[in-house]
Amino acid sequence: MSQGRSIIPRPKRWDVPFSDEMTDDVVERILSVAPFNKIDRKKFRGPITLEGIIQNDARLVSCQEGDIIIREGDWGNSAFFILSGTVRVELMASGKFLPPEKLGRPVTKRKSFFRAIAQLWSNRKEPEFRDLSQPALSGEVGSRGSGDRTRIYLQDIPRLLDKYKTVALEAGELFGEIAALGRMPRTATVFAEGEATLVEFRWQGLREIFRKDASMRTHIETKFRNNALEGILRNEPSFANTAEEDMQQLLDQAEFNTFATYDLSKQYRDLARGGTEGQLTEEPLVAEEGDHPNGVTLICSGLARLSQRYHNGHRTLGYLLPGQMYGFSEIEEGWKTKKPVPLSMSLRAIGYLTTVTVPTQLVERLVLEKGVAGKSPQTPPLDVAAAAKTVTKIGSDIIEFAVDNSLVQGTATMIIDLDRCTRCDDCVRACSNAHDNNPRFLRHGPIHGQYMIANACMHCADPVCMIECPTGAISRDLAGGQVVISDQTCVGCTRCADNCPYDAIRMVEVRDGVGNLIRDENGRLPIQQATKCDLCVEQRIGPACQNACPHDALYRVNMTDLNSLGSVFNR
Amino acid sequence: MRSLAARRWCSLGVFALLAAVILALYAILSFSIHPTSFASGWTLWGLILALAAYNVRKRLTFLPLGSSSRWLQVHIYGGLLSFVLFIVHAEFRVPNGPFELSLTLLYFIVFFSGLGGLAISRAIPARLTTRGEEVLFERIPKFTKRIRDDVENIVLGCISETQTTAIPEFYVEHLKHFFDGPKHFWQHLFQSSRPRNDLLAEIRSHERFLNKNERAAVQRIVDLICAKDDLDHQYALQWTLKVWLFAHIPFTYALVIFSVFHLVLVHAFAGGAE
Repeated sequence: MSQGRSIIPRPKRWDVPFSDEMTDDVVERILSVAPFNKIDRKKFRGPITLEGIIQNDARLVSCQEGDIIIREGDWGNSAFFILSGTVRVELMASGKFLPPEKLGRPVTKRKSFFRAIAQLWSNRKEPEFRDLSQPALSGEVGSRGSGDRTRIYLQDIPRLLDKYKTVALEAGELFGEIAALGRMPRTATVFAEGEATLVEFRWQGLREIFRKDASMRTHIETKFRNNALEGILRNEPSFANTAEEDMQQLLDQAEFNTFATYDLSKQYRDLARGGTEGQLTEEPLVAEEGDHPNGVTLICSGLARLSQRYHNGHRTLGYLLPGQMYGFSEIEEGWKTKKPVPLSMSLRAIGYLTTVTVPTQLVERLVLEKGVAGKSPQTPPLDVAAAAKTVTKIGSDIIEFAVDNSLVQGTATMIIDLDRCTRCDDCVRACSNAHDNNPRFLRHGPIHGQYMIANACMHCADPVCMIECPTGAISRDLAGGQVVISDQTCVGCTRCADNCPYDAIRMVEVRDGVGNLIRDENGRLPIQQATKCDLCVEQRIGPACQNACPHDALYRVNMTDLNSLGSVFNR
Repeated sequence: MRSLAARRWCSLGVFALLAAVILALYAILSFSIHPTSFASGWTLWGLILALAAYNVRKRLTFLPLGSSSRWLQVHIYGGLLSFVLFIVHAEFRVPNGPFELSLTLLYFIVFFSGLGGLAISRAIPARLTTRGEEVLFERIPKFTKRIRDDVENIVLGCISETQTTAIPEFYVEHLKHFFDGPKHFWQHLFQSSRPRNDLLAEIRSHERFLNKNERAAVQRIVDLICAKDDLDHQYALQWTLKVWLFAHIPFTYALVIFSVFHLVLVHAFAGGAE
């Protein structure tokens, strides 16, 4: 055995900068314009300097007329600062939106009955056939660049500006920071009006500036309160009918918080290796069991664990996902009995979590009092205690397995009951038939007890695969919300496959009608594309795998809904 | 989602009701002067065709024809009902002609292979999770070969490292056959761990002839024996889960063809019966 030792320099934060093109001149140019010239550089002590952040966590993006910079609904982890030129933000409130085809989004069409039958003889024998002779995008959008620098652009900008309502953002303005820091989908589409130069900040750099510079922090918080917070509160049934004057109080007093580290996919795996107790100690505590609730916590993005003390450890009793709330039951009970009621469970952030906390006294006054008086009918919020009961019925060990492996993100997780599965592979064959003879999942995956979570796309509530797709080829289907990949716009950059924490996306070499590999004209290298389960979005029968299972062993389960989960585990 | 137990009771109830109706109709019609065999025969033939259509449904996975699990439920209880119809059609006696006897034999093969298949499908899956890793059936030969290569590398390593032939001799005499391919099929099917225990006991009894290095090598071989035995267990059970269909489906086609001949013959000679 070799006695040699591998010695390497200790890895450092900026070993891999966002871009290699950020020269000292470019950094100085950015630092000379507002608001960066107003930032107190002395506050950036130690190795993380402001210059370092801009050099390593930012890159220059040159846009031409019509270039789409961000699209409403996409996930992103960066914000943009306009160095020169003008960009346009589509106003969603106008009621007239840019149609999906104009934005280069794939529009999936369900197969007709006859096209469905025709699959009997029209499915290809050769694997991964693609007809790339079709135009990649509709005539209304074009594409330029290559690889992860590919950019799609809108055409006939003057006509679009006449037809759709937009607002201009000029040099010196920042946009996209709320989605980047909050890990939320983009709330609007932004495109370049003419030639423009932008500085794109990855979220890590943005977070450092946000933490150390009060003016930037105030700027972002104000923008969050003005633009995003009202939308979040209005989406919550308890606050949906709040009167305008009360809403203003909510906006003024609600607290926006972020917990844990925002890292992409792989962190879940690292956490899972530590086991449940290991994970629990690593997870930042949002609120602790036994404390008195200082407000109702709304989950804006990410995943949170609900746990209870059990002898010398903690037992997972459930989890919360975006749109769910914590602490309401205790406040309600305290308000009814006029005695303070402590929190019955602890709340911890798994991975990355953003929350909004509405103070107790506002909840009592705006939700409980008005709800009882009948002035404002309220939809009851999520009942955490009831959820915990469901979890107890399902089994705490299964919930812990699902939370520890972050499987609760799935809205269509493939669960196979191995006590019923005869390994007949009808599911795999059905999947293959529905996808031109290419199966889109593996009947293999982590097992807990009698349940296997198969290696198939779970169509996550927070689809990290969509972050960084340069062309928007991976997106949510507008009708059903499934995460789908467009063969026509996928450029094979592998970003989605790299980001998927569950290895549910595969890169395949595509072939033409006679089975030859399709190669690029320059390097003659085979063209790759990303593939995954699309939940049979084009088929008339829903997920073919579930439909084809003769033994009721395979289910696509919405893990974000405990009742749906319970109905599978308690059959 | 309705529980599986509730569905089972509901299906059994419907089956019992339909079986009672068939038997009652037979009892009533047997008093009339018209023979019941045409009605029961045609109903049975229609039911057999409907049951055979399940295999076609399995191929048309992309058409909205109802879920496969619903079809299987109809297939199971329809199959049971066909047995009641068959007995009624045969008028509770053993057919005497060679053709009718062949037809009866075919029917019983199909019926009992289906019943056996159902029992296998319900009993074996849970046993697959009790031992070893979950492994795809098609990959078992590849894993078997990998294990055999690992063992042979250990054995060959012993020759070069220890310059003795104790382990190679033992391997050729007692283990080579075991690692060559799937073994102990029936023992695995009937949950016997005797072959594995025998093999391990044989190794333990041989250990006293080995030095320290050789014992370490043997321990690695023991681990691989356990891994191979688990693979054999998976192979035996998964093979059984798949193979019963090779009796059920071809005999179903034969039954359909024979029953068509039966229909033609019956109608050709129907005048005599009238």
